[in-house]
Amino acid sequence: MRISNVEGPLDPSLIQFLTSQLSIQVAACSDAGEPTLARALGARMSADGHRLALMVPVSQARELLTCIAANGHIAAVFNEPETHRTVQLKGNDARIEAISAADAAALGPYVERLARRLQHYQVPEAFSRAFYAADPADLVAVSFSPSAVYGQTPGPHAGEPLKPGKAP
Amino acid sequence: MNPYLSIDTLRNCLEGVIPAGVATCSRDLVPNVSYVSQVMYVDQDHIALSFQFFNKTRENILANPLATVLMVDPDTAARYRMKARYLRTETQGPLFERMKARLAGIASHEGLVGVFRLRGTDVYRILDIEAVPGAELPRQLPGRAILPALRQCSERLHNCSSLEDLVDNLLDALDRSLGLSHSMLLIADRPGAKLYVVASRGYPSSGIGAEIPLGVGVIGIAAREQVPIRIMFTAAEYAYTRAVREQAIAEGLVDALEQVINLPGLNEPSSQMAIPLPGIRGLIGVLYTESQQECRFSYDLEDALVTLCAQAGLAIQGLQLADEPRLVAPPADCLCIEDPLADASPDPLRVEYHDRDHSVFIDGDYLIKGVAGAVLWRILNDYRERGRVDFSNRELRLDSRLGLPEISDNLEARLILLSRRLQERSPFLRIEKTGRGRFRLLLQRPLVLVPMNPCAAPPPGGISQPAASADQA
Repeated sequence: MRISNVEGPLDPSLIQFLTSQLSIQVAACSDAGEPTLARALGARMSADGHRLALMVPVSQARELLTCIAANGHIAAVFNEPETHRTVQLKGNDARIEAISAADAAALGPYVERLARRLQHYQVPEAFSRAFYAADPADLVAVSFSPSAVYGQTPGPHAGEPLKPGKAP
Repeated sequence: MNPYLSIDTLRNCLEGVIPAGVATCSRDLVPNVSYVSQVMYVDQDHIALSFQFFNKTRENILANPLATVLMVDPDTAARYRMKARYLRTETQGPLFERMKARLAGIASHEGLVGVFRLRGTDVYRILDIEAVPGAELPRQLPGRAILPALRQCSERLHNCSSLEDLVDNLLDALDRSLGLSHSMLLIADRPGAKLYVVASRGYPSSGIGAEIPLGVGVIGIAAREQVPIRIMFTAAEYAYTRAVREQAIAEGLVDALEQVINLPGLNEPSSQMAIPLPGIRGLIGVLYTESQQECRFSYDLEDALVTLCAQAGLAIQGLQLADEPRLVAPPADCLCIEDPLADASPDPLRVEYHDRDHSVFIDGDYLIKGVAGAVLWRILNDYRERGRVDFSNRELRLDSRLGLPEISDNLEARLILLSRRLQERSPFLRIEKTGRGRFRLLLQRPLVLVPMNPCAAPPPGGISQPAASADQA
């Protein structure tokens, strides 16, 4: 089944939000209907605004990557911890790619920024650094063209499709 | 299932400190991922997720019950992936209330008060738990080993020979062995649908005699549902402010509560825990402890207190039975031999009694009401009319005028309450235990007994008074 509320490139403000070093979790499911999930460590949008790539540590996401390779279905949730602003994207053409040198270089700043965000909840920096630690050699990029976007900020409207141009 | 990973040893991940992620998928294989405010431990094979909003996760599990949860240990950053199968949703009862109370704390922690509304508790069977590889911080040694402390507390209770002894030892043991420095023990008044404080520790004022209705606040809900409630963060809606109690009265949840004695307690506790004391025939009371420190009480500590309270509940029942001097018949009328007024000051003590609620005032100050008030009035009248100072619990229990409930009257607890209120409020009038199931009235001033509103037909359980005028003893 194809769900779509996205046509063309994503809204620039949404792209800015998705790539602003947020907490990211990625889900997929097997052809038998078994869901799985893992954390992603950073997001990059293609220059034309059509394809989003998420950095995923292979060692933490073997089942997820197997599912994506099998059917290409993907869901990813992006959360800004200190504001609770949350967006979920879905796609059905996900594929696994090697990361670029720029992706590897972005890992350090990503961890640093999230550690700062979590200090809002008095989470010690040492904890954040362990939580988001990854070896760039262990990362792959999972890219997909988002076909649906949902607002998931906690509240009664969580889960509703996000209207184009509307902030999460 | 990995035999070495049990949710029993991973409960730290379920405290709501870091929200977990949950993945589901629809029947047509569209995955969904969202954050879940609370994953709650149910038992070694089950967890529960909070259902707050009708959303895709909800829709998916009703169509395809498989879910996977990604959770993290808030101390070590270790991650675990748990596969589970949705079984059912509970919308009321102990599990629901436990989750609702915990959610209130989590909402406050996350700055989302008023956003979360628990619609249901979704119960899942755990299918598998997998450790996700990655960096971890070394686990810190726990500050205090709970099992040895539990054993010490248990031994303290085991050696108690009276209810009064037990009540004091319980709170003292919690403080010394487990570092729980703010605590109180409340006994259930089931006919009155409320609980009253018989002992407290760590507060400027003891609050003995203060009441809380069943179903109100952490203590009231723990009592009504007979389930332990533990809150990790400040949760204003579960505090015991006077406003909460007044609201309960306004809504007709209970009759007017004792308003003169303020409930002891911290103003804004950051951690709260209320554990029911079960008895053979139902609830005995509730143990409550609180702290200014967030996340002070762990799942393991909750286990320890549940175990200890099970022992305490049975011990209280046993001591109440043992308090009856069944083998030695009490003297029918033990006239006073000693002169309790030897050091009496000439000023009489004015004791007022109100039939309506059995409330007693000494020199114009409120002392106590209910069964404890009726007992005091009864023994003071016996003293005035016959000079008696020695009484037995059994004679009180058999006195139909006191209107004690037949089952679980908790007379001993009420006598402790009375004795402690007198200690706090009236230096010239005391009751003192003289043996198993026996106590003595000690008076240092003459008495004036003033029945304030005698009526021709006393209310059930009330004490009728023949005279309306003041009668000096």
